[in-house]
Formats: sequence, C-alpha cells, structure tokens
Amino acid sequence: MALPQNKIVRWIDHRLPVFSFLDHELNQYPTPKNLNYWWNFGSLAGIMLMIMIVTGIFLAMQYTPHVDYAFDSVERIMRDVNYGWLMRYIHMNGASFFFIITYIHIFRGLYYGSYKTPRELLWMLGVVILLLMMATAFMGYVLPWGQMSFWGATVITNLFSAFPGIGNGIVTWLWGGFAVGNPTLNRFYSLHYLLPFVIVGVVGLHLVALHQHGSNNPLGIDRKGPQDSIPFHPYYTIKDMFGLGVFLIVFALAVFYFPNLLSDPQNYIPANPMQTPPEIVPEWYFLPFYAILRSIPSKLIGVCAMFGSILVLFIVPWLDTSKVRSAYFRPIYKWVFWLLVIDCFVLGWVGAHRPEGWFVVIGRIGTIYYYLHFLILLPFIGWFEQPLPLPPSISSPVLKKKGGGRVARAAAAREKP
Amino acid sequence: MAESVQSQPAGAHAEEGTRRDFLVIAANALMGVGAACVAWPLIKSMNPAQDVLAAGAPVDIDISSVQPGQQIVVLWRSRPIFIVRRPPDMLTKLQSDADRSLLRDPDSEVVQQPPYAKNQYRSVKPDVLVLVGICTHLGCIPNFVPAAGGSLGDNWPGGYFCPCHGSRYDLAGRVFSGVPAPYNLPVPPYHFVSDTVVRIGENPPDSTFDFASIEQI
Amino acid sequence: MTRRLLMPALVGSALLAASSGAWAQEADNPPLPKIDWSFTGPFGTFDRASLQRGFQVYNEVCSACHSMNLMSYRDLEGPAALGYSEDEVKAIAATKQVTDGPNDQGEMFQRPGRPADRFVAPFANEKAARAANGGALPPDLSVIIKARDGGPDYVHDILTGFRDPPAGFSMAQGMNYDVYFPGHQIAMPPPLTDNRVTFADGTPATIDQEARDVATFLTWASEPTMEERKRTGAKVIIFLLVMTGVLYGAKRRVWSDLHDKDNHGD
Repeated sequence: MALPQNKIVRWIDHRLPVFSFLDHELNQYPTPKNLNYWWNFGSLAGIMLMIMIVTGIFLAMQYTPHVDYAFDSVERIMRDVNYGWLMRYIHMNGASFFFIITYIHIFRGLYYGSYKTPRELLWMLGVVILLLMMATAFMGYVLPWGQMSFWGATVITNLFSAFPGIGNGIVTWLWGGFAVGNPTLNRFYSLHYLLPFVIVGVVGLHLVALHQHGSNNPLGIDRKGPQDSIPFHPYYTIKDMFGLGVFLIVFALAVFYFPNLLSDPQNYIPANPMQTPPEIVPEWYFLPFYAILRSIPSKLIGVCAMFGSILVLFIVPWLDTSKVRSAYFRPIYKWVFWLLVIDCFVLGWVGAHRPEGWFVVIGRIGTIYYYLHFLILLPFIGWFEQPLPLPPSISSPVLKKKGGGRVARAAAAREKP
Repeated sequence: MAESVQSQPAGAHAEEGTRRDFLVIAANALMGVGAACVAWPLIKSMNPAQDVLAAGAPVDIDISSVQPGQQIVVLWRSRPIFIVRRPPDMLTKLQSDADRSLLRDPDSEVVQQPPYAKNQYRSVKPDVLVLVGICTHLGCIPNFVPAAGGSLGDNWPGGYFCPCHGSRYDLAGRVFSGVPAPYNLPVPPYHFVSDTVVRIGENPPDSTFDFASIEQI
Repeated sequence: MTRRLLMPALVGSALLAASSGAWAQEADNPPLPKIDWSFTGPFGTFDRASLQRGFQVYNEVCSACHSMNLMSYRDLEGPAALGYSEDEVKAIAATKQVTDGPNDQGEMFQRPGRPADRFVAPFANEKAARAANGGALPPDLSVIIKARDGGPDYVHDILTGFRDPPAGFSMAQGMNYDVYFPGHQIAMPPPLTDNRVTFADGTPATIDQEARDVATFLTWASEPTMEERKRTGAKVIIFLLVMTGVLYGAKRRVWSDLHDKDNHGD
C-alpha cells in the first residue's frame, strides 16, 4: 500500500515522517506467516501497559499519598468518585493480568528460542522490562496502605540489610526514616508514577530491536524470502485485535465478578505498625521468588538467590548451546521446558505457605531445580540433544507437526512433482 | 530489512471482498464504540464526587449577632458569602437616582440572582443582604467599604471595592459602569428558616431557581 | 492446534487445582457453614428489607463498640442503597450527636447529625476504645467483609458461633469461646440474643436472623457499588462477546485470501 497522495499527509511527512514510518513498520514490515496465538501476548502486554497508565493517571487525581489519608482516599475512590470502583478494580486486577500476560510471553520466548541470536538484546531488554514491572508493582501495592502494603514493604526493604556493612545504611536510605513510614510512602508514589514511563521507553527499544530482524516463528527457522512473509497489517493487526477481544472477556470476568479473587483480605485492614499479620504474603506474581528467598537459611544468600533467579535470565542466550531454536524440533528440551513451568508453579505454591514442614523441603528442591535448569540443563541439553530435522523453509510443507497431520497431507498433495 | 512484501490484491475476490469489508468495518465500528465506552467513565470520574457534592449542601447561618452596618463572611460551596445587615439609611441610598446613574445594570436585568431577589434591594428581606463575594471580573474577593466618601472619592455612596483591578459595587452588589467587572455580584439561593437563621444554598419552598443558570459566578 | 494446547492446559489446571486455597488460613477450625446469600453470583442483588434490618442491628447493637468511619448517613439514601428517602435519612442522622467546631469561642460542641456527617464513632480514638474493652480494639466495620476470609459467612458464623467452652479447654481471662473464630477465643462477648432488637417489619428476631441481616448490611457497606458492578459487567461482557465474534469473522476474512494456508498458524 503506497503512501496516500493527500497533500496534507505529504506536507507533514516531509517534515516529520510519521506516516512513512507507520507505513514501513506496519504495512511493509515482513512478519512470518506462520505465527500462532502465543505471539499475541507481546502486543497484549503493550496494550495492558497503556490501560495501567491511563487508569493510574485518573486514580492519581483522587489518591492522597499520606499515611493518615491513603487508605481512606482509596475507599473514597471506591465509594464516592464517579466510576472510581471501576478504575480501581481495573488497575488492581490489571496488574495481575499484566503479569500473567508477561509470564506467558516470556515462556513463549523460552520455548521457541526467541532469545537466540540475533535476538539476544531483544531478550535482555525484555528482562529489564520485567524488573521494572516488578519494582513498579511492588511500590504500587504499598500505596493503599493496608496491612499487607505496610508489612510487605517492611519485609522486602529489610532484605537489603543483608548486604554486609552498607546494608543498614541502604535500608534507612530507602525508608527515609527509622521504619517504613510517610517518607517511604511518598517516594514510592513518586517512583510508581515514574517507572511506567521508563517502561514505555524500554518497550520502545524492545520494539526497535525486534524490528531489526523481525519476529521469530514457531518453527524457529529464519524467513528465506517474501514467500515466507506477510505484512503485519492487516493480518496481524486484526489477529491481535481478536486476541485482545478474547483477553478482555477474561479480564472483564475478573474485574466485574471476581475483583478480589487474586488479592489478600488482609490488605483491607488499615496498616498497623504495631501488629504483624499472621502471614505476610506478597501478591501471587511474586510468590515463586518469595519461595526461593525463603528456601535458603542464610539471609544474604537467600537475597542473592532471589535476585539471581531473575538475573540468570539475562544470560539465557549464552546458557543455551543448542543450534536449534524452537522446541518443536528439540524432543528432550521440550519436556525439560515443561518441567520448568511445573517448577515455577510449585515454587509459587510453596511461596504462599508458611515455611514449615514439607514446604521447606519442596521449596529447596524447587529452587535447586530452577538453577539446575538454567545453569546445567540448558548448556548440556544443547550439546547432547539430537534435534529433529528442520524443514527447509517456513513455506515448504512440514513433515512432523503437532496437529498438523491433515495440513501436511494437504500440502504434500499440492506439492509439484 | 530491505525486503518488502506484496499482499494479495484486495480486488482479487470481489464478492468475498465485500463481505470482508463489511466485517472489517463492523469490527472497526465496534472497537470505536468500545473505546468511547472506556473513555466515558474516565472522563466522568473527574466530575465532583459524591462527598464533594454532599459538602455543597445548604448551610444554616445564625445572623442574630450581626449588627446594623456590619458584614459577616461565611463559606458555602467553598465560596465566600457576604451577609450584611443594612440599616435604613443604606436602603434609602439604594433607591436614589444618584446611585442608579452610576450603575451598569441597575435593574438587575442580567440573571445574576434568583427571581425572588430581583428587586431594588436584591434581597428577600430589605435589611439583610446576601451575596456571593466573588468579583465578576476575575474572581478576587471585594472589600466591604460601607462608609460614603473617603479615599474612594466624594461621590462614593458606600459598597464594595475590589482591590485587584478596581471594580466597584454598591450596597446591593450592583456593579458600577466604567469598571472592569461586567456583572452584578451574584446572589445565591437562600431563604429564612426563622427570623434569625438564614439557610444559604436552598430556595424558598415555592421557588425552583437553578443557581447554575446565572451568568457569572 | 488443540493438541498443542493440551500440555499447557493440563499443567496449568493441575497446578491451579493443587494451589487452590493457598491463601486460606489453615487452622483446626470446623469448616465455615455457608449461607445462600441473595447477593452472591453474577446476578445477585441485595434484599433491601434485610439491609434495613441489618442497619438496625448495627445501629442498636454493634455501634456501641464498633465504628464505621467510612460510612456517611447520606450513603443510606436511595433505591441503590438501603431504600431510605431523603427525609428518613435526615431523621436517622438527627438522632445522633456529632462533634463539630471549633466555634467562635474556639471550642468543640455537639450538634444533631446531618446526612453529610460520617457515622458517629463510639470512641474518640483507638486508645479510648481499647481502654473500654479490656485492651482489645473492636475493629472498624466499614470494610470488614472484604477484610476477612469467608466474608459474610465468616461474620455470620462468628456471631452465631458462641458456645460454652468444651471440657478441658482453658479460656484466657475475659475471653469468650466461639466455634468458628480462629483459635476459638474472641474478646467480644456474644452481642446477639433472640429479640435483642425488634424489627419494624415484624420479622422474628432470632439470633440467626439478626446475624444474617447484619452480615448483609455489612456486605453492602463494604462495597455499596456491588450491584452496579455486576450490572455493568453483564453489559460489558455481552458487548465484548459480540465484538470478539465480529473480530473473529473479520480475522478469518482477512486471512482467507492467503491461498497457501498450510504453514500459517491458527
């Protein structure tokens, strides 16, 4: 599709090439034609970021970041502000769904080898986005100033005291006082407002890196030519919109019918520095990391193990030694991948319970297995695995594909002799 | 990234093209409706919340201790409300031609007051004046200067002087000609619930005046 | 495509099933009896008569010790709330004495309540509340239903769960035995008895009825916009179903002109 001949369009484009930029990146940008629905989650994450920023800005018009007023201001939003309940529930559940989408997006990358060359920086920028999201979510959860807000903040900021020598200084600096209090709340509010825009910037870099070489695809083989590609618009724009519709239905079910399913009732109790809740539990998306933290008896090593579990993601492109990208063609890695998924769920389940009895044992096994997967299994499987033969190209018929029997047969029938 | 891609020409399947266009148009329309439905509650959320509206409820003021010639200032809907007890000599001045000739809108033609206050005294009872104390120029609070003459000039009859840009009003809040302010000071809805208690923000039972219909707060 | 989804679906649902109840407190309590409330479910609504009776129970019994600082009397007005008229709400508020001020002498004074006032609290501050209750703080009830696992069932069951302690169970000083309270020892003495209040609509005021009604009222108070939320949800989801259906059709149409459908995803 050529640029419109409209004079105004050309006048603007000559000075600020928005239109030719959009045309290049949407209409002409070649995308593999075999992407499946697991590829919807990137755009879904971007849209979720927009939703969180918009609802957040409108909530910020009504919220008061002071320890004496914060809890009440949130309840005022729920009761007195027109549609306040809607904005609050969308923002609150939106955080959970943002993490669901992002975790699926990450696991898609791990399964199909999207982190492999030449997409290493794309992957690493993604890990940076994950870290920024976790910081943003942690600070956001403090703002309602409920029991979990306060005590979760206390526990997590206290982690930094593990660092020898400078630890206590860092914690006092983070708090702005002798304990989590009003200075802490105010600075978390400021940073919680700031970080999403930093995320937007890193997402921009993430997309630039993506467009450099284009998307990976389920087969994990490079596009060889125009026969393997289709323009992003209209094919993937409409597919992304459809995926968005499906997602919004699930999201709406949560927001309108189960808005408190994923949250802790303790956070509807105003923060009380004099009384610790019976269980301090972070939001579900932090539970696996919480389990790793608590599985190690030493405070410092526990903290290192927890941060390490995210930092290890940075070096995945180099840990995985396989020449083959997609797990389609990696029979051993495929099972190991699902073991990792199970391990993450198990760690999450452990993180939700008190660290006693069997939970301690399982938590330790889960933590060891997590690191085993990345540091031992990834390199070794890459060296010793016999991958299945790769098809010559995306367009040519694929001999062995899950659920592709009839498709392959139809393709073979159309194959010129 | 130099390769570009030719998509299938849209006209290749004319009949399917029409069906595809309809679906795409319908999809776009529905997404537009959806976006509008999302924007609507966000914009409405910026309207005054229920507690703010409740705080704008009428207030009862006891004026039994207000002396003749004295003004008190109270708050209603976060705005200053002037309440003056006017002695008879103030009232006679309001009827004089000398006073009328200085004014831009002596008969209160512009809707700056409820109909029950559209009279020569601009009040329900002549001896009690109730005004919204916000200059109709740019919103400052005018000073109460009831004494005639003095630093404001020999033909100053007594009234209000706004320090910001010099607008002047008489002792019924009517604006002078030749000053920046365009309109008389507004009169809020009010009525007497007893001889000594005036309720600001509520019409008398027989009136349905809407305060939002005045020209300029 | 379905086979490709099988593994993740199996793994996901198996682990979700295993992790269900992960947030519930584990204690040796008997399971909470669950009541079939009128407001649960996607089409649930509040029974207005029950709400009014529940407010009466709160007003006459609970408000002696428990504040509801986030509620205002004006919140009770209207068909979306308890169904009281403006005059009824003014009358309810006027029965209360509210601290206001400072007056022109600089002193605080008492005056009859107005609809815009918050619910009058029984104690001036937390310390006064603790001093009057043997060191225990009766929690504020504004969001109590959302602040407890089990919500309305929990509140109802606590209120109807008072018993004599079983033989051999040693009670701490000043505590009361409750079957459903975690740990079984609650500082609150049993607040409800049969006919503790007389309902204006003639409903027999058994302990169970009083407990149901006050739990209903407290559920409403924790989230007054619940019915509006569910109604809006129905409209939104129906719209989304239609829109997603059209988008699916549009997607199929747009993709149909790819002749070589074999190697593209779904």
